Amino acid sequence: MRYNEKELQALSRQPAELAAELGMRGPKKGSVLKRRLVKLVVNFLFYFRTDEAEPVGALLLERCRVTQEEPSGFSISFLEDPERKYHFACCSEEQCQEWMGALRRASYEFMRRSLIFYRNEIQKMTGKDPLEQFGISEEARFKLGGLKA
Amino acid sequence: MGAMKLNERSVAHYALSDSPADHTGFLRTWGGPGTAPTPSGTGRRCWFVLKGNLLFSFESRESRAPLSLVVLEGCTVELAEAPVSEEFAFAICFDAPGVRPHLLAADGPAAQEAWVKALSRASFSYMRLVVRELESQLREARHSLALHRHSSWKATGSHRKPQAADRRSPGLENGYSPSKDCSSVDLVEERGSKPAGPGLAEWQGPASLYLDGRQSPAFPETSYFSTLHNCPSPGSRSTLVPGRD
Repeated sequence: MRYNEKELQALSRQPAELAAELGMRGPKKGSVLKRRLVKLVVNFLFYFRTDEAEPVGALLLERCRVTQEEPSGFSISFLEDPERKYHFACCSEEQCQEWMGALRRASYEFMRRSLIFYRNEIQKMTGKDPLEQFGISEEARFKLGGLKA
Repeated sequence: MGAMKLNERSVAHYALSDSPADHTGFLRTWGGPGTAPTPSGTGRRCWFVLKGNLLFSFESRESRAPLSLVVLEGCTVELAEAPVSEEFAFAICFDAPGVRPHLLAADGPAAQEAWVKALSRASFSYMRLVVRELESQLREARHSLALHRHSSWKATGSHRKPQAADRRSPGLENGYSPSKDCSSVDLVEERGSKPAGPGLAEWQGPASLYLDGRQSPAFPETSYFSTLHNCPSPGSRSTLVPGRD
């Protein structure tokens, strides 16, 4: 699958929700823990060698599962293969919790569900659709059903 | 120049999954390996699927693997000066070094307008803006509700009736309970993760987010939201006048 790598690299340079140096181990058997600069930007997790400007790689966070593995470590896996895990080692339990919380909220799909929830709540409380005033109440992206792909 | 890694298998699964598509349709595209640096010919007709801030192309509607992915974050969308005799074209542009616009063409003016609009609003940043706006409105609505209740308790013996709240929150008379539907929502006290409420997948965290007061300097105040929908802004320009300048 081709993808726009240059644009993704440019995205990795944008302001991050969270960034820190963490230990990271890939999903392959026999992978070794390496120090990486890990940066959360929108729904992508970028990871860099600590002395390099361009990312080694990126993880799209849609349909990901974030699991606590140790008091100060967590893993990211994906819905289609939950045992294939990317492991991360933090320096403290607190940092681990912070990252896990941020990663769980970092997908577009999660935001969409939140938006729909808030929209319904506001509608129940006020009797009005809060998106109507902005002329976007009919957009597919703000509905749970969306379009069939 | 080492290639950047991407979890392509997971990305492809997301493309094919039943998560909502924000827009779909056939478009002609000119990008691709071995193509000329400037677009020529009628292009290749592919099936495009927009999900969130990701635009996927497939050879056909039945394909089981995407041909390409354009990550849309940070892009602007403009009507394009089409190649010779090509109508209904538009371009996805990025402000990144060495990046050419992605040229696409729809089948007609309605499809072109729909795509330009959908792509202009496809960013994660835009979705986050809308979520924050609604969080703010929900907070206000609940605050008003709380004030109304407080003032009606205080108004014992007074001849003044509670006013605006009756119109604005009909649920009050129905015994509205904030915790009726989703136990995980609590605007004031949300901290850390809680069990997901009904309807929210166990894969992700609670509904309340960004309510711990964290303001990212990268994203504007919610008052920007109104101007976003009243006039064009740099991030979501959709100039519907053909041609440039």
